[in-house]
Formats: sequence, C-alpha cells, structure tokens
Amino acid sequence: MPSLILAGLVLIAGAILSLALRRNGHRAIAAIASQAAATVIALFTVVPLLRGATPFTAEWAWSYPVEIIVARVDALSAFFLVWSMPMTLLGTIYAVGYLRADLDAGRNGGTHFALLNVTSLSFLIIYCTQNALVFLLGWEIAAVAAWLMVIWDYRSQRIRFAGFNYLVSTHIGLFVLVAAFMLMHAETDSMDFRAFAAFLAKPGRLRAATFLLLGASFALKSAFFPFHTWLPRAHAAAPAHVSALMSGVIHKAGLFAFLRFTLLMGQPEEWMGWCVLGFGAVSAFFGVLYSSAQRDLKRLLGYSSTENVGIAAMGFGMGYLGLSWGKPSLVVLGFGGGLLHVFNHALFKCLLFYAAGAVYRVAHTIDLERLGGLVKRMPQTAALFLLGGIAISALPPLNGFVSELPIYAALLSGEGPSPVANAGLVCAAALLAFVGAVSALSIVRAFGVGFLGQPRDPAVHATEATPAMLAPMYLHAAAIIAVGLAPQLGLAVVREALSLFPVGADDTVSRTLAGLFEPVQVASLVLAGSAAVICGLAWFTGRNARRHVTWGCGYTAPNSRMQYSASSFSAQLARIFEGFLPQLRREKLPTTTFPAADGHLSTHHIDPVERRMFEVLGQGEDMITHASERIPEQPRFAFAAGLLTIVIAVGLLLAGAR
Amino acid sequence: MTSLLLHIGAVLVLPFLVSGVIQRTKALWAGRRGPPILQLLFDVRRLLRKRRVYSETTSFVFRVGPSAVLVTSVVSSFVAPYLGIPSPLAFPFDFVWFAYVWGLGRVALMLSALDTGSPFAGMGASREATFAALLEPAFFLVGGATVLVTKERSFAAILSLHATQGTAFVVWFASVVALLVLVQVECARMPVDDPTTHLELTMVHEAMILDHSAAELAFVQLGATVKLTVGLGIVATLLNPLAGRTTPVVVALANLLIVLLLAAAIGTVESLIARLKLRAVPQYIAVALVASGVALLATTWTPGGPG
Repeated sequence: MPSLILAGLVLIAGAILSLALRRNGHRAIAAIASQAAATVIALFTVVPLLRGATPFTAEWAWSYPVEIIVARVDALSAFFLVWSMPMTLLGTIYAVGYLRADLDAGRNGGTHFALLNVTSLSFLIIYCTQNALVFLLGWEIAAVAAWLMVIWDYRSQRIRFAGFNYLVSTHIGLFVLVAAFMLMHAETDSMDFRAFAAFLAKPGRLRAATFLLLGASFALKSAFFPFHTWLPRAHAAAPAHVSALMSGVIHKAGLFAFLRFTLLMGQPEEWMGWCVLGFGAVSAFFGVLYSSAQRDLKRLLGYSSTENVGIAAMGFGMGYLGLSWGKPSLVVLGFGGGLLHVFNHALFKCLLFYAAGAVYRVAHTIDLERLGGLVKRMPQTAALFLLGGIAISALPPLNGFVSELPIYAALLSGEGPSPVANAGLVCAAALLAFVGAVSALSIVRAFGVGFLGQPRDPAVHATEATPAMLAPMYLHAAAIIAVGLAPQLGLAVVREALSLFPVGADDTVSRTLAGLFEPVQVASLVLAGSAAVICGLAWFTGRNARRHVTWGCGYTAPNSRMQYSASSFSAQLARIFEGFLPQLRREKLPTTTFPAADGHLSTHHIDPVERRMFEVLGQGEDMITHASERIPEQPRFAFAAGLLTIVIAVGLLLAGAR
Repeated sequence: MTSLLLHIGAVLVLPFLVSGVIQRTKALWAGRRGPPILQLLFDVRRLLRKRRVYSETTSFVFRVGPSAVLVTSVVSSFVAPYLGIPSPLAFPFDFVWFAYVWGLGRVALMLSALDTGSPFAGMGASREATFAALLEPAFFLVGGATVLVTKERSFAAILSLHATQGTAFVVWFASVVALLVLVQVECARMPVDDPTTHLELTMVHEAMILDHSAAELAFVQLGATVKLTVGLGIVATLLNPLAGRTTPVVVALANLLIVLLLAAAIGTVESLIARLKLRAVPQYIAVALVASGVALLATTWTPGGPG
C-alpha cells in the first residue's frame, strides 16, 4: 500500500511541476516522467495480485463523519489499474504530438498535462478505496478533470456547449449515486463498503432500489443507452487523446463500480440478471445502429462506445444469471467475457480515436463526406485504423473476437433452468450477431469512405502523423494482435479478478476459459498464418502490375465526388430501421426539366433520444402549466380522495420497504 | 486423419464440380450443351496467367483483399462439417468462429471494392453489408436452436440432428429452410443476386468485383465458389440420411452426391425464377429469420427441456 501512496504523490508532484514550469516542453516532460514513474511503481505493486498474491488492506482513522478510511487492493482493482495507468501515460505522450500546433503557438499546456496526471490519480483513488466519501471524491475528480480536458478549445461555442452538456449529465449521475450511498448510509450508519456489503447481502426491496440507483448512475457514467446523449457531443468536441481516454479508460470506472458492488452483493436475484442483460443488449443495438449512420468520425466512434459497453454488460448479465442459477461456468464465461471486453475495448477504441485524431490534425476535418484517399497520404495511420477496425468488429484473429466468444458461449450454452429462458438467451446471441455485423458495416464505411478511394475535397490536405502520435498507436496495435493470437494473455489478466466471484472450485476459471480459448487459438493461428503467407505473396507478386484508371463501367468523365458517399453507404440499413434512426432532410430539389436555380439536399441523422430530451426540457414549463391547469381551483372530493390514496400508497410502500 | 484428408481433397475438387454442375444445369434448361464440368478450373488457370492491372486509385488493400477472401473461405471450410463427418478443426462454439471468419472475408471483399473508388463497387459493398447484417441473426438462431436440441457445442455435432420426433423435426425442417435461404443470399445466387450479369444496377456481389481482373478475379471467384460449396455442404449434412450410421468415407460420398444434387437444384432455380427486386431482398431474408425463429420456438416445446 505505501508504494501506491508513493505513486499518488509522484503524480501530484508531476501535476504541480507541470503547472509551475515555464516552458511547454518541460511541462510535458514533467507529466510524462511522473506518470511513467507512478505507472512503474503501481505495476510492480499490483501485477503480483493478478498472479494470485493476497490482497492488501490499509486503514486510517479520520474525523467525523468519515471515521475510518479503508483502502483495499484486490485483483479487481489490480485488473483495472494494470491497463488504466499505462494507457493514460500513452495518451499523454500522444497529447504532445496532437497538441503540438497549439503548444508551439504559445498556448499554455501546463493545466492540460496536470489534468492528465490528476486523471491517473483518480484511478488510484476510485479503484482502491473502500469508503463511499473517498470514492465520491475520486469520482468527482475524474469527472471534473475530464470536463476541463474536453473544453481545451474553449473559444468555440460548440465545444463549450458539449463540455457543459457532459458536466450536467455526469452530475445527474452523481446525484443518483449520492442517493444510493445515502440510502445505504441510512441503513448501515457507515460509509464503509464492508458495512454496505452486510446490507446488500440481504435480499429485499431496499436492496432492489439501491441496485437500480447504482445501476442508473454507473450506466450514465459509462454512457449506456438511453443515458448516452452527452457522449457523441463530448467525444466529437474533445481533443483526440481525451476522447480516447474518456471512452476507453475513464468511463470504464462505471463498469468497475458496478462490479465492485456486485461483489459486495454476493448473491443477486434473477431479475437483476435479466435487467442487466436486457439493458446491455438494448445499448449494444442502439449504439451500433446510431454509429452506422454518423458522418463525423469521432461521433461514430463515440456511439460505438455505447455499443461496446453494452456488449460487456451482456456478459455481466450472464454472470448475474449464472450466480442466481448457481452455474459457475456461466459466471466465469459471463464476467470473464465482459471483463475481457472492457480491456479489449480500451485497446482498440484508443487506437481508433488516436488514428481519427491524426487525421483531424492534418486534414482539419473528420467529416467522412469530405475525406477519402487518405491511405495513400498517411499509410501508417490508415493501416493502424484498419487493424483497430477489424478488432472492434470482433473479427478473428484479433482481440475483439476473443472477448465476444465467451459471451456467445454463455448465451448459447443452454444452461438456463427452462427452455424459454434458454430461447431468450439465444435471441440475445442473435442480437449480438446483428450488432457484430452492423459494427463491421460501420467500420467498413468509415475506413472505405474516409481512407480509401480518391480524395473527395481538394481543400483537404493530409500528411503522415508525427512519431509522438504514431508510437502510442503502434503499442496499442501490438497489444491487439498479441491478445488476439494468444488469448491466454487475456485469460492471465482476468483470471484472478474472476476468482473473486463465487465460482466453486479453484480451477473452474482457468478450465472453462482455457478450454474455450485453446482451440480458438489454434484456429486463429492457422487463419493468421495462411492469410499472412497468401496475402504476402499476392502483395509481393502484384508489385509490377500495370496501372490504369478505375473502370467504373466505362464512364469517361468521372469525378471524385461521384464515389459512393458515407450517407449512401448506410442509407439502406437506415431505411430498414427508420423508426429508430430518424433522418433530418433539408432539400430544395430542381423541379422543371431545365431548372433555373440550383437545388440542394442535405440529410442528417440526429439522435432521437437527445432530441426528445431537449423537447421535454424546452417545453417542460408548458407541460407543467398544462398539467396544473387541469387541477381545479376548488379541490373537489375526487381530487382530494386521489391525493389521499397516493399518500397512503406511498406510506404503505415505505412501511413495506422496512 | 481420414477427416482431414477427405476435407482437403473435397476443398480442392468439390468447388469446381459444384460450379460445373450449376452451369451445366442452366445450359440444359436453356437447351444448350454448356461448358465442360471443370470450366472454372480452366477459367482460374487462364486468369492466373494474365497480367494484373490495378487502378491508380487503389492501395495495398486492393492487392491483399482478394487473397484474404480466398484464405478465409478455405480456412473456414476446415471447421465446417460440410462432408457430413466431423470437421478436422472442430471445437466448442466453432460455428461462432466460422460465422465471424466469413465476416472477415466479407470485410476484405468490401474494402477491396471500396478501394477502387468506383461508385458501383461502393453500391455493391453497401448492399452486401446490409444483407449480411440482416442475415447474421438467422444463422445464430439456427445455431442456438440446434444447440438446445442436441445439447452439443461444436458445428459438426449440432448438425447431426436426427429428425425423428415432432419437435426435433420442426427444428430440423426450419433449419434447412433457413440455411438454404442463407446460402442463397450469402453466396449471391438467384433470386437475390444474378451471378451472370454485370449490366444491372440491382446487383450485389458482382458490382463489387467490376475492377478486379487476372489473379484478383480468380481469387474472388474461387473464394465465392468454396463458400457456396461449404454452404451447400452444411445443408447437405442436415439432409444426409446416412450421417453417423456408416463409415466416414461412405457418409462423405453420400454428402458429395447431395451437394451436387443441391447444385443442380440451384441451377434449376436460376433458370426458372427471375431475380427479386432489390427492395424485396430484405423480405426474402425475413423468410430465413422467420424460419430460424420457428426453429428456436420449437425448442421451447421440447418436453422436459434442457436443464
């Protein structure tokens, strides 16, 4: 434990140095060096936990109302720390390349680098504490730091709005979390998680209410549908490394907290499992559908975060069901797949955001309809984006498949108590398959329209990214390939965290997951090996090929604007799912045979949840006025009786809850 | 070992036969003599000898994509029990892997199409991606239903579904229907896509390979034929009355025969039925979805049920 405190102090010292130093170069070095030191210290401390060392605990007495602060680092904390801190470090290195133009122009980067350090510090607090107040402190530090990093370009009204939107949303989540903590505090008279565990272990209506409150708050943090509305805006507005860290790393705290309280709860009820599974499935479905229609590359990636946390939650839901049905194999497959997916998503989502940021830096736009042909001008970034894209579509032999396979195995295992439950799980598997295929569509669209073909807009220039931006991308890519080809690596990372769940015998975890991964590894190696040989051969023998123009059915006056556009690529799917994907159309079409005036047509897919939310917010006052107009001025008997009934009902509910 | 040898032999020979039988059947219906049975082999040989031509727009993706299509379809054939006998690479939930490897091949094909910058290729890729998204759930519903009925996990084991009693028969029949539609859509056959014409705008697969020539075209066509063979073989495995009853070689031969009969059936369908309007294709896919949904529903009637 002292070593983790030391890591925290190093991070604070680095943050202070970044604020105090006079030159941007020195500030960056202070942040990177302090984070590197803290990461190394933390890794030396927590990696043994992933290999089976006993968890360690520390306690400090504190004044009223905190009384006692317990810090406990177990395998779950270790699992989240072991990738969160190094990835934040990589994000900071990327930031040096990404912000270079701004920093060279004299902008003070000290605050930004200090905030990155503080983010890393908040992980240490959130993942290690066992005290609700300290947990809230870390939670709030992470949220505010993320907000301040999002509004780096605060001079733009759009970006300030996105930041404000995020700040409001995250605090709504905080209120819900505070409510849950207050409920538990009222029941236990303590802020300590161990006391909470005693309360949460007893089934009851208050436990159910706490579960729902916690779930809603953590869902808002991790941007589940329909709590996702802040996410596409924030991700489109933030600098690329901030989007990457928010999506891949910072918001995984919501899933961590969910698992932390799951562990405290012990034995959940069956409805909770169905609830989590259904919620995850809905998130995955809507996330992927929205991502398939976006024009802005970073918004697209943002929605795909909603999809991927949904997939992880489907795994967690299976784990819940396994716990309540007493099926250790489902617990291992569900939580194992979910945890691995959290890790894998951090790997490929950061890579994709970094690549998108590299494009934005040189092209100054990430509107797919204006890009095209980038693969020629930034081949390394393009290849890395493609790799991340294949991984995020869960295609073998990369890491996305490794984490979705256990979730499929749990859904298709047929281990439910009734045929109907089993059929329901198979339906969820079919939905997951749909999500996978649409996610492939979405990434083919993003890569095919953005990077392949010919440049659509001559005003967009592009050159290869700088080494400071490429290096973090290469490291992420290497990890993606490594986990894809050697799933045991993934298993090694999650094994001890899974053993925290009640899974029966000691070797259930390794046996279940290794039995699944070993043959897949053979198959994936065969696939990767033969693909490498044949594709390499084709690539090599194709070097002397003759060059010609694209045939295009013999049309002789082609124009790069005639290429298939991103909107048309997803149009057919969007039409099929029109009810979920409303389209905003602005058009003035030419009417006569020889139109005199120019026509125009623009289509735009808006977020229906956000639109409805703003509608309600905008008309909320009217709605209340309308409702209150219906209340008669002289309360009649029926009205009074109604009120009385409500009061009695609420009173009875509260009494029953005791 | 027998299984591995049989599968290697089949993947080398069977695709050419399937393609030849389809062509011959269509020729018979049209009153022509038709090309030799091994015409695809001659085509591939001719294409491989040609000099390659790449569009100036293309990048490494175009150079690598078509061979990735071929590799994925050949490698996926080693987990698919398309000869009616256990596949050489069988493992738990290999059918999930199989579906995703096909997905990888599809992504490679779509990307090498988009790499040419041709609007036709983009159109074809968009349609392929959309249909695949609608089709994928059907495959997993069939897979899930057969898993629930057989209580097995690997592709070969779940397809050895013996349709004796009422509910198992419903699952079996619905699975056959769903998989047949799936093969038609996935392998771009009539009534969804016409593999013989280039000059219609309502096309899917062919539009993507307009700019492929020489070796690239050979790889894509071979890959597509291997996929078709594997798809038909999976349906044949379900239909095979001998599966699991005699020696593997006999079962495999019977399966071969059924595959060729199915190929003749495909040729017949292509000769007699016109292609659907593009807007009707999602509805045709809905047939597969409904059939697979029926298969899944039938599992809930199994008396006792699993677990």
